[in-house]
Amino acid sequence: MNKKSGSNLPAGGSVNRGMNRRELLETGIKAGAVALIPLVDSGCTTEAPPPPVATPLGADHDRTLAAAADRILPADELGPGASAAGVVHYINRSLAEWNQAELPMLRQGLADINEVAIARHSYEFAALTAEQQDLILTELETGRLDKVANGQLLFNRLLRLTLEGMFSDPYYGGNAGYAGWDLIGYPGAVLASTPDMQKMRARLPMLHTSGHGAEHDGH
Amino acid sequence: MAIKLPETDVVVVGLGAAGGVAVLPLAWAGLKVIGLEAGTWMNPGQDYKPDEIHNNVRSLVTTGNKVANEVPTFRTAPDHVARQQPRHPMMNAVGGTSIHYHAQSWRLNPWDFKVKSATVQRYGASYLPEGSTVEDWPLRYEDLEPFYDHIEYEVGVSGKAGNIKGKIDPVGNIFEGPRQREYPMPPLRSCEFVDHMTQAARALGYHPYRGPAAINSQPYQGRPGCAFHGWCDRGGCHIRAKSSTDVTTIPRAVSTGNLRVVDNANVRRIETDNTGKATGVTYLRDGKEYFQPARAVLLGTYAYENIRLLLLSQSSFHPNGLGNNRGQVGKHHFGHWDIQAGVAVSALFPFDLNIWYGAIAQGVMVDDWADDNFDHKGLGFIGGSSMHAYTEKHPIAAAAMGTFGKVPKRWGSEWKRFIAENAGRWTTAYIQTNTLPYSNTWADLDPNVRDPFGDPVLRITSGPKVNEPKAATFTSGKMIEWFRAAGATEIVGGQGGTGPVLSTHAHGGTRMGVNPATSVTDPFGFVHDCPNLGVIGGSVMCTAGARNPTQTIQALAWRTAEQLVRTLRHA
Repeated sequence: MNKKSGSNLPAGGSVNRGMNRRELLETGIKAGAVALIPLVDSGCTTEAPPPPVATPLGADHDRTLAAAADRILPADELGPGASAAGVVHYINRSLAEWNQAELPMLRQGLADINEVAIARHSYEFAALTAEQQDLILTELETGRLDKVANGQLLFNRLLRLTLEGMFSDPYYGGNAGYAGWDLIGYPGAVLASTPDMQKMRARLPMLHTSGHGAEHDGH
Repeated sequence: MAIKLPETDVVVVGLGAAGGVAVLPLAWAGLKVIGLEAGTWMNPGQDYKPDEIHNNVRSLVTTGNKVANEVPTFRTAPDHVARQQPRHPMMNAVGGTSIHYHAQSWRLNPWDFKVKSATVQRYGASYLPEGSTVEDWPLRYEDLEPFYDHIEYEVGVSGKAGNIKGKIDPVGNIFEGPRQREYPMPPLRSCEFVDHMTQAARALGYHPYRGPAAINSQPYQGRPGCAFHGWCDRGGCHIRAKSSTDVTTIPRAVSTGNLRVVDNANVRRIETDNTGKATGVTYLRDGKEYFQPARAVLLGTYAYENIRLLLLSQSSFHPNGLGNNRGQVGKHHFGHWDIQAGVAVSALFPFDLNIWYGAIAQGVMVDDWADDNFDHKGLGFIGGSSMHAYTEKHPIAAAAMGTFGKVPKRWGSEWKRFIAENAGRWTTAYIQTNTLPYSNTWADLDPNVRDPFGDPVLRITSGPKVNEPKAATFTSGKMIEWFRAAGATEIVGGQGGTGPVLSTHAHGGTRMGVNPATSVTDPFGFVHDCPNLGVIGGSVMCTAGARNPTQTIQALAWRTAEQLVRTLRHA
């Protein structure tokens, strides 16, 4: 089904209106199966969603990654934390597709973080208190965690990948329900903007549009 | 053994910003042209996405199979081992980097063409920076003006003139050189942020103007006006409003029947005879090697590959590389002193800027502290910088903002609250500084790193500079004043930078000049001792202006092509 841009949004701007998206994702999160949900809209798209990927990191590393990402970008009154917004799915998708070279470093790094947690507290990283997790991450960030090789690089990559997952187009598995874009006030990906969409001094209305699924017919 | 093809009049190597322009005057003149391009045609409908991962993370509109294997190495001193850099956006595609560039399309200031003599005349020889190998260009602004005009009208540039035949209009750039007529299209649409910055600049007594853009502001030559969707940077235009050569000059040249585009052609060598003249080029396509004979060759790849291909094309007449019998190929090469040199001023405002959409070229420019537009007596440097405030902010980049010292950590709850409030409230100015060539900065072949064919990649050696960081520090101070006048509450930056590593504005290396002892090409761009080989692209430029180089590269390419038409007609 083709959806011409501009049918229900200003300036021909709609790319992929997420009518059912939030419901779909919330259902998925509850079912613990977000990774298997095609992460584009359920209909009205002209672009096939990427196929679901197996998690290249594996469940144990996913747990550590989710815990770390949730300390970087925690859940609070402003909205969901990183993992609930699909950041772990985004990172796994990147590692399965365009970021494969980084997989060994991340796997090793997450294993190292977990070992530090177990050595210190007898529990895996994901089971520690927020304060315990923050202390380990702070030591990682400042290069004071002797057990982790290139700790600062690892932290910077975790931070960067968390940002990518949270604020990228939901097409890639993160930014679920547009949680990241809602947080910072980015209305959505469009094919055209109006002068009203460049007005200052107040938040713009959220559009909740993905950049995929558009008919890029290029005139 | 290479398959020998029938001879053509001209073979153009590379169909990007430069080669893609040069083919049009050649084809119009009735010459038979073969355009060899390492990439292929992009499909705006499929290949360009309003998507930061696609464009800015995965670099899907800025790379290619060939360039990925030949990224130069870099070092800051001759006793260091140069390291290969991870990537560079010189692109393999019909249209090349003109597909994904920001399309800011300037003429240089008349001063840029005569930095050396004008500096000596106004301030004395002692003001020339130590160690600089700067020479006046072998042409003046006035010589290039007709070709700038061709580019603005045939490629398609939006803007507002500030000086038509000496008549100054303060709505445009009062510092620009005289032009013969107005731009073919008005400037791109403005927006509240651009208007706000414009008013702040006026309050300071500056002369702000809307920068010219090779982007349609209204329908032009069968292409629509810009839609301001905010994905111009490192992305192609989904509606062909950006005047990249694959949608402007190249298709028009093809339609004459005189240009044949050969895509996926990896040019390996320029061949010469025993008198030093070019006989054609050898290239690989689909695993087969071809020799394309030609009466003349135009070399129009990115500056790095222009230099490398000359150095690799050795022969009995050119034993040290084509045109390099005086050791000038790779000399006078440098990267532009811009944000890639570490010059940036960022500002945080106490209100939402909402610069998400728009385009980088949808901005406002101040030239009061650029070029020689102000008195440098006692300042200790020459040149200066343009300052540009603009739109187009992508969400990941917005959230990855610096914290302006307002929160102690760059992660965690407090940081999250900070970016939630401020990711839409900050911006960075684009400051571009006049840059000169120096004896401590050059390009040659790397002795260690090779491409998959076993050919060395290019090696950049770039020593420290004094003039450029001084100028950039001075103008960064002016930028800080401009942001303050606009109501910014927090401002960071102001350092003059340490210099670019690799540059998207690479200049020089096959410098134009009258004197073969200090240049590679003659004043029209033809190699001194290989007169039927023309070089087009940033590598022929003698200095960098306080602005993006592409329109000057394109005007020079048009001029070189017209000169070639005259030469071949007389032959």
